Amino acid sequence: MRRPDPKIVRWGILIALLVAWEVVPLTGLLPELFLPRLSKTLNVLWIDLDKYWNALLVTLYEVVLAMVIACGFGILAGTTIGGIAVLRDLLLPVFSSLYAIPIVILYPIFTAWFGIGSESKIMFAGIYGFFPVMLSTAAGIRTIDPQFLLAARSMGATVFQQITKVIIPASLPTVFGGLRIGGALAIIGVVVAEMLTASAGIGYLVTLNRTILDSPRVFAGILCILVLSVAYDIIARRLERRMVVWQSAGRRQQQTSPRPVSQGAPAPAAA
Amino acid sequence: MKYWHIILIRAAILALVLGAWELAPRWGLVNPMLLPPLSDVLVTLQIQLARPTVQEAILITALEVIVAFIIAVPIGAAAGVAIAEFPYAGAIFKPMLFYVFSIPKSIFLPMFILIFGIGFQQKVAYAAFTTAFVVLMSATAAVESVKSDYILVARSFGATPLQILRRVYVPSMMPVLLETLRISMIFNFTGVMIAEMYASRTGIGHLISNWGENFQMPQLFAGVIMLSVVAIAFNETVRYLEARCSTWRT
Amino acid sequence: MQYVADLNAAKTTGAAIEIDRVSHVYAGPEGGVPALSNVSMKVGAGRFIVIVGPSGCGKTSLLMMMAGLRDHTEGRIDVHGAPMPKPDPERVGVIFQEASLFPWLTTFDNIEFPLSLRGMSKDERRRKSQPMLQLVGLTGFGERYPHELSGGMKQRVSIARGLVQDPPVLLMDEPFAALDEQTRMTMGHELLRIWETTNKTVVFITHSLTEAVYLADEVYVMSPRPGRMIDHIMVDLPRPRTYEMMATDTFGRMRDRIWQQIRKSH
Ligand SMILES: Nc1ncnc2c1ncn2[C@@H]1O[C@H](COP(=O)(O)OP(=O)(O)O)[C@@H](O)[C@H]1O
Ligand SMILES: [Mg+2]
Repeated sequence: MRRPDPKIVRWGILIALLVAWEVVPLTGLLPELFLPRLSKTLNVLWIDLDKYWNALLVTLYEVVLAMVIACGFGILAGTTIGGIAVLRDLLLPVFSSLYAIPIVILYPIFTAWFGIGSESKIMFAGIYGFFPVMLSTAAGIRTIDPQFLLAARSMGATVFQQITKVIIPASLPTVFGGLRIGGALAIIGVVVAEMLTASAGIGYLVTLNRTILDSPRVFAGILCILVLSVAYDIIARRLERRMVVWQSAGRRQQQTSPRPVSQGAPAPAAA
Repeated sequence: MKYWHIILIRAAILALVLGAWELAPRWGLVNPMLLPPLSDVLVTLQIQLARPTVQEAILITALEVIVAFIIAVPIGAAAGVAIAEFPYAGAIFKPMLFYVFSIPKSIFLPMFILIFGIGFQQKVAYAAFTTAFVVLMSATAAVESVKSDYILVARSFGATPLQILRRVYVPSMMPVLLETLRISMIFNFTGVMIAEMYASRTGIGHLISNWGENFQMPQLFAGVIMLSVVAIAFNETVRYLEARCSTWRT
Repeated sequence: MQYVADLNAAKTTGAAIEIDRVSHVYAGPEGGVPALSNVSMKVGAGRFIVIVGPSGCGKTSLLMMMAGLRDHTEGRIDVHGAPMPKPDPERVGVIFQEASLFPWLTTFDNIEFPLSLRGMSKDERRRKSQPMLQLVGLTGFGERYPHELSGGMKQRVSIARGLVQDPPVLLMDEPFAALDEQTRMTMGHELLRIWETTNKTVVFITHSLTEAVYLADEVYVMSPRPGRMIDHIMVDLPRPRTYEMMATDTFGRMRDRIWQQIRKSH
């Protein structure tokens, strides 16, 4: 018997999960307090659509600014540190050591400094995303083949042309990879921060409804965040593939398997 | 640059940062209410470490971290090896892992609280849940990194599966294995911290979050320093072991 | 045996490249690494020169110096009568071992890369690259990316890129080393055809003795590090070369002579 296409199996799993979400609470296997039915969750989402929409806008606003910080500074610092040998030897090991600190413990400092509004979330999520973006960019810059620069020089490229015509295009895959990771981490950071201490945003709604034991509204929030992060991932991946058409088939394949943590790539965030 | 040059410059940078932390609030360059001088923080740290409530919190946090780790590693590793060893399972689940990567796992905290309440179990369960994914991903990568080449060679010399496991998998994966454990531990620690900061009655994460809410900045910074030192010390120890292992490996 | 430059060959056509007692020491601890010692050669215009020598003897270093990509400690290197303090693509084209094509550019854009550095318009660039593509036998592959080409095709693109500015001198550093034996033979043959139609001076580095004799007008043999010239062999096989010549006695004798020189020098 031929095995069904993995893609079909994946859709099957997704549908099964959605059905289980509806059926399991109905059968009483799990009380509705733990897992309210899907239909009920969607229903409260529909009723409170305005509220969730506004919260989502707040979250998105924070995510976008955090992304700008994480990716902007991350790529800048990563290029500098990865590209200049002295800085690399000096700082890269230090940053990898600092990476061990659970950054979430800094969040109370941020709320004390910036208040419980959007600023503290933006700063926290920005820093949360900064480190992995910086480390992966630095690692990527180092993999640029020196032969490319030699060839460009032999054809008479000036230093400026070497940067614009070789170094920048050669580092695009790394930079896009960094952008994707930085964005994902910015979402994670903002959501965590909103859940911990906030006065607005989807994470805040989840926590607020949890304390009053309104499970359907908690799950409505969870659903929003799930959709947001999966949609982000799909869009970012599409964009990345379109911008970097020239990547060889081999490299593209590598990217569809989980990043090997052992090769200096940033590990997935667990938050 | 020579090795000791690097060390010297790093020490100078560290001294600069710590010096600025001490002097900037003292000279009024920053508000000492927001950034208390380093010496005040260190004195506070000493006082806090002597308090029984803090000691108890440390003990509980440590227990949570250890238990969650012990639960997460075998589960994650088994799933990871399964995905790497069975191509069909890999074809199905690998693309899904990416979404798992980008989903903020903290949104599931309310479920853990609803099911386990606010206590030891909930923290362990949540941290183990987040850590298992990290272990899974790095275990998959680790197995795939040694698979084809070595094993083909070993088989061609007539090695039995057990010999392959002992002579090929374990030694060639040792550095990767340590790396996996190290990274998993970072995320495990983060998981416990988030769970404690989110809803808890004890533990270091809970204390930190309380100190923050009550604007007790010296205590807050003392807690952050302590946790950072522990995390970095653990990380460096494992990295040292990794380096040792890689030298005899290659 | 101390090598004495056979200058007569070069005199007939006038020198394209003149290397006069060049030595080089790479900076490093304990006085550095001596890479080249008192190297002299005179390359006549339009000649096909091959340099052979053991790994690490300084062949690449010498080529980089001719291309203006690296400085030398002592001596003089002139290309068409003037030194090369920096790369000059109008005088010298370089072709590297790995094709070193830019993976983010199509074949056309790769070939046109040196032209785009001088700000030439797109139409004009295409007018120049089109015949190059044809010359290397890749018509129709202009819009492909390097990862869609085979190893041999990549080297063809690389050669086209080296030729597009029509430099009188072409330097090639083991350009076919990464190819399989059959592709390598075909590429050598192709290169000779291109060389015969374009009248370039070629300096070609290789490890393969067969390739050396098959391609060259003259073969220079270098000693192990620090590299010196230990032999200079005139290959007087008729042109155009054919694969059948490889089976002849003359061919075998010349290959043996090179092999003996390399072996003795160890
Ligand atoms: N940039 C460099 N710095 C120091 N030593 C070098 C450098 N490039 C080459 N060398 C050394 O010089 C010698 C000659 O190298 P190379 O010219 O690459 O030899 P070949 O191409 O004949 O194999 C080698 O021993 C190599 O280690
Ligand atoms: Mg070489």
